[in-house]
Amino acid sequence: MDIKRNYYEDIELFKSNTILVWSILFLIFLAILPWLVMKYHLLGLSVYIVNLITVHAIVAVGLNILVGFTGQISMGHAGFFAIGAFTTVIFVLNVGLPFYLALPLGGFISSIFGFLLGLPALRLKGPYLAIATLGFGMAVTTTIKHLEFFGGRMGLQAPKLYLFGTPMKDIHFYYMIMIIAVIMVIGAVKLIKTRVGRAFIAIRDSDIAAEAMGVNLTYYKTLAFAVSAFYTGVAGGLYAFILGFINPESFHLIMSITFLAMVVVGGLGSIMGSIAGATLMTYLDIKLQAIQDISLIGPALVTFSQKYMSVAGISNIAVIVYGLIMILIVLFEPLGIFGFWIRTKRYWKTWPF
Amino acid sequence: MFGQLIVSGLAVGACYALIAIAMVIIYKTSEVLNFAQGEMAMISTFVAFTLLETHQVPFPYTLALTLLFAILLAIFFEIAFLRQAKDPTVLGLIIITLGFEMVLMGFVGWKWGPDQRALPFPVSNIEAYNFYGLFISKINFWTLIVSLVLMLILFLFFRYTKLGIAMRATQQNQLAARVMGIRTKWIFSFTWALSSMVGAVAGMLIAAMGVLDPPMMMDPLLKGFASGVLGGMTSLPGAALGGALLGVIENLFGGYISLSFKSVVAFAIIVLMLCIKPSGLLAKHYVKKV
Amino acid sequence: MVKKNLIFVGLLVFTFFISAPASAQAVRGVTDTEILIGQWGPQTGPAAPWGAVARGTDLLVKIINEEGGIHGRKLKYFLRDDSYMPAKTKAIAKEFVEQIGVFAVVGGVGVATGMTARDYLMENKVPWFSPVTGVYEWIHPIQKHLFAMYPLYDDEAFNLTGYLYEKLGFKKIAMFYQNDDYGKQGVMGVERYLLKHKIKLVEKVSAEVTDRDLSTHALKLKNSGAEAVIMWTMPTHAALILAETAKIGFKPQWATSNTLSDSALMMGITRGLWTGMINSNFAELPDSNHPLMVKYREAHKKFAPQERWGVFYYAGMAFAEPFVEGVRRAGRNLTTESWVKAMETMKDFQGIGLPVTYAGLKDRQGGKHVFYGKVKPDGNIERLTEWIKITK
Repeated sequence: MDIKRNYYEDIELFKSNTILVWSILFLIFLAILPWLVMKYHLLGLSVYIVNLITVHAIVAVGLNILVGFTGQISMGHAGFFAIGAFTTVIFVLNVGLPFYLALPLGGFISSIFGFLLGLPALRLKGPYLAIATLGFGMAVTTTIKHLEFFGGRMGLQAPKLYLFGTPMKDIHFYYMIMIIAVIMVIGAVKLIKTRVGRAFIAIRDSDIAAEAMGVNLTYYKTLAFAVSAFYTGVAGGLYAFILGFINPESFHLIMSITFLAMVVVGGLGSIMGSIAGATLMTYLDIKLQAIQDISLIGPALVTFSQKYMSVAGISNIAVIVYGLIMILIVLFEPLGIFGFWIRTKRYWKTWPF
Repeated sequence: MFGQLIVSGLAVGACYALIAIAMVIIYKTSEVLNFAQGEMAMISTFVAFTLLETHQVPFPYTLALTLLFAILLAIFFEIAFLRQAKDPTVLGLIIITLGFEMVLMGFVGWKWGPDQRALPFPVSNIEAYNFYGLFISKINFWTLIVSLVLMLILFLFFRYTKLGIAMRATQQNQLAARVMGIRTKWIFSFTWALSSMVGAVAGMLIAAMGVLDPPMMMDPLLKGFASGVLGGMTSLPGAALGGALLGVIENLFGGYISLSFKSVVAFAIIVLMLCIKPSGLLAKHYVKKV
Repeated sequence: MVKKNLIFVGLLVFTFFISAPASAQAVRGVTDTEILIGQWGPQTGPAAPWGAVARGTDLLVKIINEEGGIHGRKLKYFLRDDSYMPAKTKAIAKEFVEQIGVFAVVGGVGVATGMTARDYLMENKVPWFSPVTGVYEWIHPIQKHLFAMYPLYDDEAFNLTGYLYEKLGFKKIAMFYQNDDYGKQGVMGVERYLLKHKIKLVEKVSAEVTDRDLSTHALKLKNSGAEAVIMWTMPTHAALILAETAKIGFKPQWATSNTLSDSALMMGITRGLWTGMINSNFAELPDSNHPLMVKYREAHKKFAPQERWGVFYYAGMAFAEPFVEGVRRAGRNLTTESWVKAMETMKDFQGIGLPVTYAGLKDRQGGKHVFYGKVKPDGNIERLTEWIKITK
């Protein structure tokens, strides 16, 4: 089944018709999703949350290219996210560029910073790289805070976008973001399958061996950073406009950690996993906070809190659950949701054996 | 002003150094970047607070009980979570510590609520010693002393005791250490316990200097990282030196160049230092071979 | 294979339809028996201490419901935790409007968080009463459905500087502020006042929210030789800067905004250094004999004994009272329009907070008063003035 007859099959997007059919079904599902959400409030979602999830999915895919495929850790992606968000808004607001130009430009500027961060990363590995990127991310947001050009600590209000003369609503954003996301995800899948992607994977598995095989480390490592930063920057630009208002304080270390958690929970080295991870973690992040409103569990937790804990801090249960998910996934399913999916699929296929 | 800036810088640097030392102890032995370091110290400090404030336990007993708690917490984390990871990657370990950080943060918020508090501490953070016009608060002074003493104890411990030597052996080559009869698993637990104790001391001192609340260790933790990078993540004297240097550099920068960009200094140092000399000032750089 | 896939698809479709669609109402959030209101506030994360505001509003709702509600309707209150993250705040605003269908949003701490929700709420004509920050963003531009109450930081700082300069005779004034919207609007007010008298601040020092080492800041303040320092920060920084300045022997007259008016808390975390602080207040003092305060304190013992009776806890009630009064005045026929009309009739309405006046579409900044107090060594505040108007 998996035997490939020529090299081009490797690069093909759809390995089999089954995958093609499922992909088309998935696209149809995406097309009608806003309608389902608006009519039935599916799982308590709103179109806005779906938009947020999609933006995070773009970040997760971009981060996975770097972390999952190239094996470079980044704890500073909130920095790229911020760069994308602020430059896109400034291009629209101060330079007067149309949004469809400003967005890729924001991504491009972010990718320049990605390239620059990729340079020291050539010498650094593992934990050191984690600290370096962490420092970078914090430096970016702290610097933005102090530049009046970026609105200082007060932040920037993103201008309204118009579609044929009417202001865009969540639903319009949804289709715009979804189209961009689909293009970028397909781009990522393609990228991984080509020569570049294989060079990334070779670097991840062993950079010394990869270099010996003729992979140009300088080129590919910085490229991985640049591509990843581009994805994140574009997502940042979209984020600024779905939020309508951005301030540097929200692009904090915690955001970088959340991005990293999405990739790890979704599955390192799996594009679909990243999307699943972004979906799950964003959803939990937003929905877990109302934990005391859940019937049965909620009141029990409140009484427990009154007795042993503090009622004022009951919302912190969400933080605990979030942290536990991160730990448990790494401990029991190192491949994340993707690994879980593979196992379920295998079980399903071989059932009842 | 210059002298005062240096003195204040050293005082705050001592705190950074303590955190950095706690981090380096773990990193040296097991190559884990412990992002939960700050929160582990924070929860220990909250335990100390409860003992002192609610149960009115005298300070020496509180100190002992808090250190005991710190040890148990660290051993619990090491055994229940870290040890369970099979073939952990660097990233996997980072994620585990980050997850644990969130769990602790959430737990403290849940148990003690979000309000700021003052840790009743025997040493005042308001009264100061006056050395020829240079002011140093009592708590800062004692922090300096405590960190120097701790440094010395740790140095002697690693250099001369059997356990210390076993820890260094484990760091250099785990397999060989095990062949030599060292129980490396226990060494790891012990490392965590040691680091957590140092962290708890740092947490209590930092809380005593200012305010006790759940996010109190966020900034010191990042500064601890910066100090570690500056001095060398694998060198204890390096971490101490890094902390002191960072404190002084930050204060001089804040005093003479720009106060509002002072908070960027630590991060700029991280990035610059890693570009120029990744191993830090005092550690040797060694390249892993295939 | 085909069969299994069909089951899978069937399962997917099933999960879509189990959630029930929301029902339509004549006025969103108002039924025969209930009025739905919502508020977000940080219950977790670094800003969590301000979460007390949202929990305080809950107490007011309980008191009103116990008394039988308003015109036969009880209030139903939804509290959501946004962790001070703007993305979450907007999600909560959408949940309030699209899923729960609230009549109005009351309170809400935070500028950046509220700003993501402001335009959305206004486009959907959702009344929003009193965001719990005194910045210009809420009244520039004026929004029909947004009623602000919290005294503006700018005006407050302007007036406080005047109080120090004219009444108490401090001529050399320095400022210590937090580098954000809150702090900067404070600086704006102070400088505006001093400009009028053609003098300058002797020193202006800002700190980042995350900073935990303020020794350099303290040194700069000391070297300025200021007689009085106005502080526009959060509690943690206030405690740190007081300790640092005390350590180097710098003891000016401190003055601060109403954000730090919780003197019981401040006294505790500053280890007594808070004594002598001059600060402005937006609500009655915790031990006040005001009849409403007495009533609320009793309700607090009854409904929420686990909460600390802090200023920002009952601020949640102070900043919701005028909203409730508006609902009362709108009568049984409560609509968004009738509520807005009722609010516009409000003249010097006062609960436990500052007096509130609205006038047509010109003025949506209801609160324009504060009073000054001085902290006594026992942690209580000595009232220095009556309510004074702070607008220029």
